[in-house]
Amino acid sequence: MKLAAQYNKATLIITLIVLCSTAFVYYGAINYIVNKQLDHDLTEEVEEIADYIKLNQHLPAELDFEGDQTSFIKTDQKIAGMIFYDMPYHKNHGNKTESGRAVKTIVTLKGVNYVAIVAQSKEASENLTQLIICITVLLTAVLLLILALTNRYIFGGLWKPFYHVLAQLKAFNVADSDAISPNTTNIDEFKELNDAVTAMSARVKTDYENLKTFTENASHEMLTPIAVITSKLDTLIQDEKLKAEQFAQINDIYAATNKLSRLNQSLLLLVKIENDLINDTADFNLKNIILEKEHQLQELAQNKGIELIHILEDKEITANKYLIEILINNLFNNAIKHSEANGKLYIRLTTRELIFQNTGESALNGDEIFERFKKGHNSDGTGLGLTIAKNICNQHGYHLSYHFKAPYHTFKITF
Amino acid sequence: MKLLIIEDEQGLRESIEKYFTEAGVLCESCGTLAAAIGKISLYQYDCVLLDIGLPDGEGFALLEYLQANEKSEGVLIISAKNSLDNKIKGLNLGADDYLTKPFHLSELKARIDAIYRRRAFNSSNVLNYDLINIDLLAREVKVNDITIILTRKEYDMLLYFIANKGKVISKNAIAEHLWGEEIDLVDSFDFIYTHIKNIRKKLMEAAHKDYIKAIYGVGYKLL
Repeated sequence: MKLAAQYNKATLIITLIVLCSTAFVYYGAINYIVNKQLDHDLTEEVEEIADYIKLNQHLPAELDFEGDQTSFIKTDQKIAGMIFYDMPYHKNHGNKTESGRAVKTIVTLKGVNYVAIVAQSKEASENLTQLIICITVLLTAVLLLILALTNRYIFGGLWKPFYHVLAQLKAFNVADSDAISPNTTNIDEFKELNDAVTAMSARVKTDYENLKTFTENASHEMLTPIAVITSKLDTLIQDEKLKAEQFAQINDIYAATNKLSRLNQSLLLLVKIENDLINDTADFNLKNIILEKEHQLQELAQNKGIELIHILEDKEITANKYLIEILINNLFNNAIKHSEANGKLYIRLTTRELIFQNTGESALNGDEIFERFKKGHNSDGTGLGLTIAKNICNQHGYHLSYHFKAPYHTFKITF
Repeated sequence: MKLLIIEDEQGLRESIEKYFTEAGVLCESCGTLAAAIGKISLYQYDCVLLDIGLPDGEGFALLEYLQANEKSEGVLIISAKNSLDNKIKGLNLGADDYLTKPFHLSELKARIDAIYRRRAFNSSNVLNYDLINIDLLAREVKVNDITIILTRKEYDMLLYFIANKGKVISKNAIAEHLWGEEIDLVDSFDFIYTHIKNIRKKLMEAAHKDYIKAIYGVGYKLL
């Protein structure tokens, strides 16, 4: 639930409760005042009757007079003072019933007690009460509406800087060049938030840049020493006095140096792809790239007895040729390297996808294989080949996926 | 051939100098841009081996100097930065070739020889070694006046051997030369063996002489 909605709900409920209770209090107060006024009128009425009786020595006529209805009933009861009460009021001799207020008292004429009841219509005051209640209800409704609208639009506007920052945070990519640019706002809390977010993103970016620069520099710096090792080995093997076991050791050093060098090149390439430094594109036919690579690698496949089967359609793409060559190379090499001897290697290219399929024993961990330095137990690769392939695909908006269905490992690029 | 080696890493410079000197190339070397420009302005070289990352500036400055002074030295750039931009910049500034560190000395020698051949003997496209005679344009190989048919890889390998005649070439160097750096070495070694066997056989049939010697599983040498 949104903060604004939550706040809105609370405000509305509180407002409603307060207004309702106010309405009750209001109603009670008005009723009380009206009754008080009526009772006062009725008292005067009763006094007038008493005066009349004293003066004229007979009961006044039971008349409707100025809306007062008076009746006298002979009684033995004793009532002290006056009793006020609500009663129905029959206007025009019972045709219409209204609410009314009445007073009951004892008048004495010639030693006989009469109950004198004087009733008055409460119609007028009732109307007043109704009007007041109507106005109150209307006011309440208007107030609620205004509150709702205010909350919705004014508070919505107030939260705008927050949502702006949130949207930017969501879209934040540490590798992107554009920084977070919060809206200017006068609200202290949002100002603080903006400052904190801007500072944080700047720090993260700087750290990331430093890390990238470090990786790049470290890799570069390592290449020269590797070049020295290689050149020294190349010089060392010219010595004919060396023994067979020394040559064997040199071979191992060669292999390790070669791996070190490939590892370095791969790391550098990854940094470049992630920095989007290799981004010039050209139009070309992917089929030709695959055929070239196949020509280059078919001997290796033949050597392992792998049967190479391709079904290639023309597929024109706009991409970075250098990276696509690396992508094809990595997938192709991978398929040959991990294929069983005398296995099969299928390459299928359609306008929608490219599939490399090779025979293999058991499934690889599909979640992990694209991660850095994750590789099979018997792989002597760098563990970066598939990571590079995945990154190249991501950069070009392709989707690279892996699945295993015995006996085939399948790598699929969906364009 | 006279070669100027401009490389600031002493160990690498010495190895290169030793390798080329033993192959009969006249070498001079220096480790800074200033010294290199000094030498270039005084002497004439056939080829220059230029490291881009020098302590007193980028090697591109030397290329600009060569262009400005209309010098005709062939230049091979070596750089730790395998960046396309650097490569293009270097080639645009008149360099003949570009090699990324690390590299094998045999590869360097083959590249320098190619530049030298293109520059010095642009009229002659024939390469002779002992009884072997190669027409570089026609890619035709004659041994003892008998034409032998080599596959593309065998042909490349033979040229590579001739450029490094008398030197032991490691299997790693051969694999990288033939298949590029991404190749899985272990898989390719069997393959090199097959190619070598075929070349040996073809040369043997024509010249009645074994030209290639295997060195303890580490590499091969053209005798």
